[in-house]
Amino acid sequence: MRALTIVSVLPELLGSNGDAANARVLAQRARWAGFDADIAPVRTVADLPEQVDLVVIGSGSDTGLTAVRDILATMTEQLRGWCAAGIPILAVGTGWELLSWGIELGDGAIVEGLGIVTGRAVPLPERATDDLIVDSRLGRLVGFENHARGYVGAEASPLGRVRSGTGNGPVPGGTGVEGLVMGNLFGTHLHGPVLARNPALADHLLRTALARSGAEYVPGEQAATVDEIAKAARNDIAVRLGLTAE
Amino acid sequence: MRYAPAILVGRIVRLLARWRKPGGGSAIPGLVVNTIAPGFLARTLNGFPGGLVIVTGSSGKSTTTKMLVAALRAHGLGVFTNESTANISQGLTSALLERASLSGRIGGDVAVLEMDEGHGALISGSLKPRVVALTNVMVDQIDRFHNSEMVAAMLGKIASRATGTVVVNADDQYLVDLALHLEGTVAVSRYGVSGDVLAANPRGLGYSVTADHRLSSADGMLLTSVDGRDATVLVDGVPRAMGLPARGTHYAVDALTALSTAQAVLGERFDPAVAVAAISAIPPVFGRGEVVTVRGRKVEFVLVQNPASFQLNVDSLAAGTDQILIAIGSDVRDPSYFWPVDTSGLGRVLFASGSKAQEIALQLAYDDVAIDRIEPDLGRALDDFLALPDPRIGLKTIIFSADSMRRTRAHLGLVSNKAGRD
Ligand SMILES: [Zn+2]
Repeated sequence: MRALTIVSVLPELLGSNGDAANARVLAQRARWAGFDADIAPVRTVADLPEQVDLVVIGSGSDTGLTAVRDILATMTEQLRGWCAAGIPILAVGTGWELLSWGIELGDGAIVEGLGIVTGRAVPLPERATDDLIVDSRLGRLVGFENHARGYVGAEASPLGRVRSGTGNGPVPGGTGVEGLVMGNLFGTHLHGPVLARNPALADHLLRTALARSGAEYVPGEQAATVDEIAKAARNDIAVRLGLTAE
Repeated sequence: MRYAPAILVGRIVRLLARWRKPGGGSAIPGLVVNTIAPGFLARTLNGFPGGLVIVTGSSGKSTTTKMLVAALRAHGLGVFTNESTANISQGLTSALLERASLSGRIGGDVAVLEMDEGHGALISGSLKPRVVALTNVMVDQIDRFHNSEMVAAMLGKIASRATGTVVVNADDQYLVDLALHLEGTVAVSRYGVSGDVLAANPRGLGYSVTADHRLSSADGMLLTSVDGRDATVLVDGVPRAMGLPARGTHYAVDALTALSTAQAVLGERFDPAVAVAAISAIPPVFGRGEVVTVRGRKVEFVLVQNPASFQLNVDSLAAGTDQILIAIGSDVRDPSYFWPVDTSGLGRVLFASGSKAQEIALQLAYDDVAIDRIEPDLGRALDDFLALPDPRIGLKTIIFSADSMRRTRAHLGLVSNKAGRD
């Protein structure tokens, strides 16, 4: 079959904390499974490839929030189309927030979002900078979070339940939730190489993408070796936080 | 004698702190003195006859400061400097206490301080430096929650306190812009690398934004070549050969910054031959490309503390180096930020170690680097790595974060220069 095309949206502006690496992780895992894969960095709407199989959007700095939103807004129609067509999308941090109804900044100002996913980002009582562990239907997800805003309006379809960390925000007297799932779009505060650390999520995205073109995804042999490393890395964090190893 | 009681109290606290924990407690006496005599720090630092010199920027401060101090001392100046990495006001006050007489005076002609850009902006309001040297704007580990504009603004705040000269890196666009704003209020002195030197570093030098244009030799000191630990600088049109304490362009740029700053401090008295000789005589720095013999094996140590230095070090390793140990420790709180680094040039790593061994191994694996063994126990990894026969290509190479470097030094019983590139 033709090569899998992985779109990396604004890799420089939305690539804080190594988020853009997730496109590389998807491409490598596709190759290990015997499929060709290309990463298409998209900086303007003119860069959009004909065919899109997977989309990765990372996090950026707050200084450029409005400017980045303005560039993203020129791609609203395509982003909507991908969502409707069931193309898997991973959106991390501000990349996710910008797809929402809007972002409330601490000073009362609001940055309008693209309105593609339900909910909005609101200031947290204090910045969340720590390990984040989530129980999801894809299993335990482990990573690092670093964000000044939580998220409201995703309660009906979160990515999972917070075991350790802040996620979408503190809930009085209960455990909070993390992330948002809407169709095949996944929003999360788990930043950096979340797909390398959590291959279950990576493989879910790849399986979905390949199934759309009638191909079956079976992780490659190399993936099995590398995923043992990821598991050990996840367990290091979980055990340090008093959870059991997997 | 207005500070005598505070200085005495500070010294007693320092003795007590040392007695409780040998070698430790360096910031506590400063904290005490700053509380009971808050004007002490600024007044003392501003009181040197030759003035105060501040070296700041995202990266390269420590090395540049050390080189500048050597160059100034070689010219016969008495220099007070913060030789520990005590960047904050308490640490500085503690350092001053070591030398102050009870009247609050310190012998010496000039003070040279290394300052963290963030902390510098906090305490610089009361300081009046004669010369401020700015190294570069990068987003480093400690400042990763700041963005480049914030770092540049903090440096601008420190530079705006200068009364004489601001020395800037003309290859760093943020500093070029900053210098334009300063022009007319203070003298600006520029330094930069030649087109050839930049071309030899295809990924750039790690600055947030590299300036499009190279400095002309008529407009400042130029670095014209770097080959291992040898560099050539062009000072007033005359090429000067210089030795570096470690391999790599960033050390050559540090040396250039020091030379340029020495000229700004010394004016007419500046003798490039004397300054270059003094910098060349600085012993190799542990953990910065230093080659040492351990247990009968030659080993090269490479310290990485931010993505830029990580990338530069990967790119500058001898091709085919076949014995590499990499150790990342708990000082790297979140290894995510290393992922923009392309580590594929390492090819094969024999050991991944340190408390973040699994995390760094994961990145290497996705970059198609072969990993022979993941051994989080650094001591065991070092023992087994050093026990291997000498490599076929290159030197045994140990790449580590600052925390792993300290543990390595302790495990191998190496006593050497303090290290940690800022
Ligand atoms: Zn700082």
